[in-house]
Amino acid sequence: MNRNGVAIDDTFAEAFPMKATRLLITAHTLEWAHHAAAAATGFATSVIGCGCEAGIERELAPDRTPDGRPGIALLLFAMSGKELAKQIERRVGQCVLTCPTTAVFAGIADGEAVALGKNLRFFGDGWQISKVIGGVRYWRVPVMDGEFVAEETTAVVKGVGGGNLLLLARDTDSALAAASAAVAAMKKLPNVIMPFPGGVVRSGSKVGSKYASLGASTNHAFCPGLYGLVDSELTAETRCVLEIVIDGLSETDVAAAMRVGLHAGIALGAEGGLMRISAGNYGGKLGPFHFHLHTLLGVRQ
Amino acid sequence: MTGWTLRLRQAPVLRLDLRGLTPTALGALTVAEVERAPVGHGNQLLPLAEFFSVVARNDDSLVFEGDLARCDRVGWQMDGGRLVVDGAAGDYAGACMTAGEITVWGDAGALVACELAGGMLTIEGNVGDFAASTLPGSIDGMRGGRLVVRGHAGARLADRMRRGTVVVFGDVGDFVASRLVAGTIAVGGHCGAHGGHAMRRGSVVFAGSAPEPQPTFVPAIAEVPVFWQLLARDLARHGGPFSSLPARRIERHLGDLAADGKGEWIVAH
Repeated sequence: MNRNGVAIDDTFAEAFPMKATRLLITAHTLEWAHHAAAAATGFATSVIGCGCEAGIERELAPDRTPDGRPGIALLLFAMSGKELAKQIERRVGQCVLTCPTTAVFAGIADGEAVALGKNLRFFGDGWQISKVIGGVRYWRVPVMDGEFVAEETTAVVKGVGGGNLLLLARDTDSALAAASAAVAAMKKLPNVIMPFPGGVVRSGSKVGSKYASLGASTNHAFCPGLYGLVDSELTAETRCVLEIVIDGLSETDVAAAMRVGLHAGIALGAEGGLMRISAGNYGGKLGPFHFHLHTLLGVRQ
Repeated sequence: MTGWTLRLRQAPVLRLDLRGLTPTALGALTVAEVERAPVGHGNQLLPLAEFFSVVARNDDSLVFEGDLARCDRVGWQMDGGRLVVDGAAGDYAGACMTAGEITVWGDAGALVACELAGGMLTIEGNVGDFAASTLPGSIDGMRGGRLVVRGHAGARLADRMRRGTVVVFGDVGDFVASRLVAGTIAVGGHCGAHGGHAMRRGSVVFAGSAPEPQPTFVPAIAEVPVFWQLLARDLARHGGPFSSLPARRIERHLGDLAADGKGEWIVAH
């Protein structure tokens, strides 16, 4: 398939079930909410080494937050509910509790409850106060700027992690332009995050390595530096490849994000330097969610 | 489940004890069984039909009609469904209720909602003393749910209350929130003497007057905008004097230092 000069591979992205939650961080100003959100979602690009994948979902106007202040919605994904609970406690404890004026709330109502402020309350050294308002329990922890308010629990739901697009471009400028355009389009959608820096990853990986201690290693077939040396997926004209990884709260959300990303790349076209769009999979044997690129573009398989 | 309208034939000679007459208990019965349901009258148990006419309803509500001011324990230990008293109710209305919804369109007596654990109890008129408090001899009072009083409340409102929300649109008597363990009390009118006596935790909000706290309270200097917006928005949905709370400035005092000292006396200006 070729759209606007861009070859769309007849392949699919393979994604996995994950555990997910949404947190709402509010603060006195949006700037301080951003500080907390950026810290809480830092070093959360891949479950391979970070424990979880996290990112900013969207900004929230004051009329969309529980306390009427500006806020940020975060999404966090992990491979198990236990690991996600651990990551929530660490990240909120070190990055939100510490940030001036912030408060944190659950962003999903229904699901398995895991601790949010439930354990962080002990920072109050006995001066913490529980408050049930409208059937929801909050913890009020005295801190030096007043008090830190945290909802007791947040709900964990099933999510989908690992949706992806591979953008094969003529050069670095073209690849960055295509990836940025795709990420910008995806960020307009709810329920998804692109956890890598700027939403883009240049070190796409394959399962396994020649080194026994490594579970993943560079996706050599897409490395332009290895063109001519290995069984490459590239041509002499594709000299830069970037990947966008998408985690979402449902299969539909990930598919929607991939679709707008595809359209953003196609809009840039071959004239903009984008030569081909592909996706990463493991032969369909590992992940139950398969996002076929042609299907996403409306072509029946 | 069948709903019933129970119409009081005439004011009983002695006080009636209506425990056991809940929507779930009566909903599965036939007319004859409902008419035979035992009702306490003095030291006797008499058939319900001695005092009430029984009519089936199209919905699943249990509705009492007439002046039930001499009928105690309406909705006692109610665990679900909807109960309406189309008039006044006696003592212990909604006491020990765990779920469901009760509406009393008139006044209610003493000990309304005492040891309430869940559900919603609305009194459109006034309530007597010891509402939302303990049964005589118990340690903990109301422990969940929500009590809304559109009129005034008597003395000792929420004595030993532990959890839940009490909203009183009118005035409250002496010793409001005495020995309060936790929970929220919102008052739309004036407050009697000795409010917050020995309260340990919990919040008492005054939306209509600015009573001085006891000397064993200290001014709070910390700003608590998040907590206040969460609480004020929840209270505002009751309307009346509470509707403007989210936009109002508050003054807080902490106490009672003679007890645990983690309670809040909040005046909205």
